[in-house]
Amino acid sequence: MKQDILLLIWTVIKIVAIVLPLIIGVAYLTMAERKVISYMQGRIGPNRVGFGGMLQPIADAMKLLFKEIIIPRVSNRYLFLIAPIVSFVPALVAWAVIPFGPHLVLANINAGVLFVLAMTSLGVYGVLMAGWSSNSKYAMYGAMRSAAQTVSYEIAMSFAFVGVLMAAGSLNMQNIVVAQSGGFWHWYWLPLLPLFVVYWISGVAETNRAPFDVAEGESEIVAGFHIEYSGITFALFFLAEYASMILISALAVTLFMGGWLSPFQGIPVLGAWFAWVPGLVWFVLKLCFFLYLYLWMRATFPRYRYDQIMRLGWKILIPVTLVWIVVTGALIELHVGPWFS
Amino acid sequence: MDLLVEQIIFFAFAGMTVLAGAVVVAVRNPVHSVLALVVAFVASAGLWLLLEAEFLALVLIFVYVGAVMTLFLFVVMMLNIRELPSREGFVRFLPLALFALAAIVAMMVFVIGPQHFGLAQYAIPAHHGADYSNIRELGLVLYTHDVYPFELAAVLLLIAIIAAISLSFRGRRVGTRSQVPSAQIAVKSADRIRIIKMASEPKVKR
Amino acid sequence: MIPLSDYLIVGAILFGLSLAGIIINRKNVIILLMCIELMLLAVNTNFIAFSHYLGDNLGEIFVFFILTVAAAEAAIGLAILMVLYRNRQTINVEDLDSLKG
Repeated sequence: MKQDILLLIWTVIKIVAIVLPLIIGVAYLTMAERKVISYMQGRIGPNRVGFGGMLQPIADAMKLLFKEIIIPRVSNRYLFLIAPIVSFVPALVAWAVIPFGPHLVLANINAGVLFVLAMTSLGVYGVLMAGWSSNSKYAMYGAMRSAAQTVSYEIAMSFAFVGVLMAAGSLNMQNIVVAQSGGFWHWYWLPLLPLFVVYWISGVAETNRAPFDVAEGESEIVAGFHIEYSGITFALFFLAEYASMILISALAVTLFMGGWLSPFQGIPVLGAWFAWVPGLVWFVLKLCFFLYLYLWMRATFPRYRYDQIMRLGWKILIPVTLVWIVVTGALIELHVGPWFS
Repeated sequence: MDLLVEQIIFFAFAGMTVLAGAVVVAVRNPVHSVLALVVAFVASAGLWLLLEAEFLALVLIFVYVGAVMTLFLFVVMMLNIRELPSREGFVRFLPLALFALAAIVAMMVFVIGPQHFGLAQYAIPAHHGADYSNIRELGLVLYTHDVYPFELAAVLLLIAIIAAISLSFRGRRVGTRSQVPSAQIAVKSADRIRIIKMASEPKVKR
Repeated sequence: MIPLSDYLIVGAILFGLSLAGIIINRKNVIILLMCIELMLLAVNTNFIAFSHYLGDNLGEIFVFFILTVAAAEAAIGLAILMVLYRNRQTINVEDLDSLKG
């Protein structure tokens, strides 16, 4: 009995150790986004609140917390309030299977990749419920578009994962990271390069980020599916979107870029110099690179039109993945290179 | 203690499944019914995880809840609610429905109840180790022994795709204008602008 | 310690609920389709419970195929429903009586 309660408390501590830095990361990611995009556009960005603007996310959070929650009179009240929760929780739950270090994973299950896919597909319901229960035209259009887009790009993402599954021989995230050990050129981004690119594009489309943000296009349909939300409910949607962004980047790092492995691993001199750096540090550095890529894409590319998004997902990305899965099969059978020997 | 936790989890998920099933048939608003069905599926995925069928539980969430139920929700949301048939038959048929429910459950408990399928007849099987991979076991059977049904299932899904599209696609209506994205992307700058070299303005004499 | 019969009874209750749903809801085609999905869920739970307690993978393979077929059937059923609504503007089963002799 005591054993079980101790195990329960230890698990709760581990969960808090993952979720708390994640939420702080989400808050400062909004800050980073504003600063990075500002500098790319030739301006400075928030720099008034706190030293150099560093307390801006705190100010934003306080503002959102104190705002009034407006529930439209003709909306479906319970669904209206449940929708942000349904959007937010799967983005957090999927973090249970991401490995942060050689022994730092909350749930080392043998179907980790499948679990992540299942959780990301649950996020669609939050969007649909928000759009429908708002009882507003713009919200409905935004929700339908966003849901159709998410479901379409899920397929391309799953095919990219199938390629990784074939290469690693396991769906266990820790095993996939360990299978990539050996140095920078052993990671899966090289033999699976088209799948990596397809995964990244699909990931950006899944999270409704630019250039695929037609669902919440700020200049077109105002705010899309979360147009009627204010205060803490809007904050939850916001958090859900940024947490999904960090999740997609973490998956890209884990599945294609070696996870917590050091890039200097196989190199004779540098490998020894950097061997003391814990895996978590490499993981976070690679994560930051992919988040920067997200922000860079937002600042640079114009928005895709909806029919262009659908065409890209169905007619271009899926055939590319299908062809490359066959090529990967051939590479594995012929034991090509340092990856599949 | 392990067992108490397992029982709590089982009763929680089983209770949620049954409750959600009851909500599906009892509420007035079809959108609420669809969402209750989603809850029923997720709760029964939890039950399947207890039965160590992790691949199928996660596939249930990923495929069924993530795609098929989304399809249901799309269809229900696009049909105008006010035109859906009202629940006038609800009160009239409720006693018959409750009787049918009670009859079926009573019959099933009589046939498959604890006296025939309890712990004495079917012992709890040994739990698999930590590195047991349910996916691997299924894959070993599906791709070797059952590969023919597997391929047939794939053909069945292809037929379903073709059928669904051919039922609902009305064809391009004559006179609608649309865009051809591939032609738009293939455009070169030389097609759109032409750069002409011309002399700049002569100096204005004051 | 959860005996097999507990899982089977859960399946039985779900099946009974979906049957009750079909009896209550004779008119609305969408609710009928959803009750069918609930029935399939009950049957799947039964299969997986037996597969676990008998130690045989065959139950899980069968559930795999049932999920496939159920997804295909749901898709086509909803496509038919959409076309029906487009042409008749109703999804009341009682209004589909044009073949009545």
